Amino acid sequence: MMEYFLKVLRAEMRKQHKNRFFGKSIYVSLFLWPLLTFITAYYSYKPFPLDKIVRGLDYINESNLIIFVLMGYMCLIFFRCFVQSAWLFSSERTYGTLELIYMTPANRLAFIMGNAVASLFESIWLFVVFAAGIFILNASSFKINIGCAILGIILLLTLSILWGMLLNALFLFSRDSAFLFTVLEEPMEIFAGIKVPAVIFPLWAKVISAVFPLTYIAEMLRRIFIKGDGLLQIRGFVLISILTGLVMLTVTIICLRLGEEYARKTGNMALF
Amino acid sequence: MLIAENLGKTYETKDWSGFLRRKCTQVEAVKDVSLEMQKGQIIGLLGINGAGKTTTIKMLSTLLQPTKGRIDVDGLDGVKDAMKVKKRINMITGGERMIYWRLTARENLWYYGQLYGIENRLLEARIQKLLSMVGLSDKQDIPVERFSKGMKQRLQIARGLINNPGYIFMDEPTLGLDAAIARELREYVKDLARNDGKAILLTTHYIQEVEELCEYVYVMDKGAVIVQGTPKELALMGIENKVLCLELNENHELLHASLTDACMSIEKDCLILWDDKNKTYTITSRQDMSGIVTRVLLEQQAPFRNFYHQEPSLEDAIIKLSRRGA
Repeated sequence: MMEYFLKVLRAEMRKQHKNRFFGKSIYVSLFLWPLLTFITAYYSYKPFPLDKIVRGLDYINESNLIIFVLMGYMCLIFFRCFVQSAWLFSSERTYGTLELIYMTPANRLAFIMGNAVASLFESIWLFVVFAAGIFILNASSFKINIGCAILGIILLLTLSILWGMLLNALFLFSRDSAFLFTVLEEPMEIFAGIKVPAVIFPLWAKVISAVFPLTYIAEMLRRIFIKGDGLLQIRGFVLISILTGLVMLTVTIICLRLGEEYARKTGNMALF
Repeated sequence: MLIAENLGKTYETKDWSGFLRRKCTQVEAVKDVSLEMQKGQIIGLLGINGAGKTTTIKMLSTLLQPTKGRIDVDGLDGVKDAMKVKKRINMITGGERMIYWRLTARENLWYYGQLYGIENRLLEARIQKLLSMVGLSDKQDIPVERFSKGMKQRLQIARGLINNPGYIFMDEPTLGLDAAIARELREYVKDLARNDGKAILLTTHYIQEVEELCEYVYVMDKGAVIVQGTPKELALMGIENKVLCLELNENHELLHASLTDACMSIEKDCLILWDDKNKTYTITSRQDMSGIVTRVLLEQQAPFRNFYHQEPSLEDAIIKLSRRGA
């Protein structure tokens, strides 16, 4: 059973990679695009007195600003890559390949997970290497709890994959995937506290930011890597991340089941 | 054997009838369709557009759940045991969709093979066998986007066979292909049934394909099977008039008047046409005129090169039967 699950997962990862990465130049754009947005965000902070703007966060100052922004953008890339890939994934429905996949006994969860994992590793690795380099260059000024750092990275990976699976399931059965794309792309960057920390948001914006799992992950990793927080200090973020992950997985499974049932009942693969 | 009994599918469509009110309408797309697919047999499912062919195929291929009726595939229930049934069936469609253009032929087959959980060594051997069967062995590492339409269709056939299905549903497999490639594909289909013992259900708009391939045909209209039988039986069912052709060696002045008089004496409104270029008479009538025409020919001692009943056309029959309804 597990072997079959992994077989489908690996096949889907390989297919998506071959289907989307057909030229080497795509790697350049994958690196340049997040790098430019990161530089833009960093230099937009520069002219302002940081300590007066960010009153709620004691750990941000002039010296660690670059790590603060870098950490935010690295987390954003983990989550944002899925919006684009899930949007492309919805073409499986329009090209008719989804019907053929549904004619096979392959595990549906493995299928969407394969797409999510492929998208994630294709999109992040170059920027992660860059971010790691910058971090190592500045590492002497930080005291990091290694155990918490590993836990944080595992949670980042797990939550982003679950987020990707959820988006894949939503986009796969959505009639208007372009609308979902618009709703999720820009707002996630703004409201998840990537550029501006979520703690200084007005209440209404804080409510929106609570919807995105990226909000908790970005804040937790910043606390681990910049402030040097231990497990005791980040336990709230860990708990909320696990809960969010479980909710996302449940919604994904329900969405997949409903989508397939609806398609079998009506012949229409667009659930909503 | 695949048996479908009294299959029915009713869709519910919802339309806005006011600002907030939605009107529900029930549409019966398929009603009481029963059919059988046996190993080694090619059966045809024909009908005009909207007759219910695709809905029927989708129900048989587990993509749609019937609202009534039963599907039995080698003793498995087509609805309850859908996951097991999926391993025994596959679908081949016409057109260029349903394959990944940026992947090579081999990668496409490998991907679908993995989805069926086929063991790697067996899959590799099967991929090579199928690529060789459809003549794509030397093109297996070229991305599909560089393939011609015919090559893509051949790959579709290979893809449809990747899980070695016992039952194959072919939905217009030669759609948009030129005559030579369509003929080549028909040969593959014949081989699949005769040599590999596959049961094939074929839907097509090309009647020539049905006449050449199918042993048994179901004709659908407005969601129901209106008639079924061998292609020959169906052709005869649709024929109301008999057509007799008489090809002469040369013009015979006296023959025309005698032939007209003799035929009219049996059936007043029979139609006699003379084609001067081919020197041929075509006599269309409800009754058999061969006896009277033979007598006239002997009386007039008219030299002729051919004299035959024109074979009824399946195409005409299907159009007539569809128009006539059940």
